[in-house]
Amino acid sequence: MRNKSILTEAKQIHLATELIKLGARLQVLEMNSNLSRERLVKLYKEIKGVSPPKGMLPYSEDWFMSWQPNMHSSLFINIYNYITTNADIQGIDALIKGYKLYLEHIEVNQLQRVLTLTRAWTLVRFVDSSVLCITPCVKCNGKFLVHSLEIHSNHVCGLCNIPSRAGKTKKAAATLSPSLH
Amino acid sequence: MDSNQMLEEIREINLGYMLLAQQLIREDKVAAMYRLGINQEVADILERLSSSQLIRMSASNMLLCRLRFDDASIAEMLSNHSRDQAVSQSHAAILMAGQPNEVVM
Repeated sequence: MRNKSILTEAKQIHLATELIKLGARLQVLEMNSNLSRERLVKLYKEIKGVSPPKGMLPYSEDWFMSWQPNMHSSLFINIYNYITTNADIQGIDALIKGYKLYLEHIEVNQLQRVLTLTRAWTLVRFVDSSVLCITPCVKCNGKFLVHSLEIHSNHVCGLCNIPSRAGKTKKAAATLSPSLH
Repeated sequence: MDSNQMLEEIREINLGYMLLAQQLIREDKVAAMYRLGINQEVADILERLSSSQLIRMSASNMLLCRLRFDDASIAEMLSNHSRDQAVSQSHAAILMAGQPNEVVM
């Protein structure tokens, strides 16, 4: 349903602007605002200077299970859960706030921004629909993302038991030794 | 360090902590609660304190803030340099964000 109130519309535009700046895809915007698709596309172009990317959103829940993404997304979901349980904040506002706190952590520790806003949004939906859940690591007691259907009574997280090739991606190698490429 | 100097330093840390906490809460309450590891109730109390209350509270022989890591493993992670620093920091952040917050007794 279309909104007639100008104030509500201003709020919607503000929200959409913030989401676009954080890197949200068009689908995320459509789900979280009642502005029309045309207006969202226009807004996107105005902010980013380019048309929104087409195609499907990343939909794989397995992505969250590989080592580096699991560290990043587990951190994000812990932040998200902390603020939604302790503060009076829900839904898309909590997602934005949590994502900003995650970005802050990335910046302070000079990490790569592995988790995009769109992935974070997908993650929250996966957790809400119980495709993924969080379970405590038996060693450090930290809460980590796992598949809901797997057995995790004895889960040891990827940070207590770091695999030998962890984090050694092509991208990381390229940034470490640019002269070789 | 004589005891007068020690009390003075404790008072200064208390005041600095309380002022920072209050400023963080007033600027962005939700983020402040995450950063400080406190819940809504404590945040509300801190937010409402007047300057004279802050000064009175700070003048104590005990510290008003305490370590976030009751758990020895977090302390070890944060001080450990043998592993990748950023990974240890992230691990510690996951543990700290997953802990229950400080509650008012």
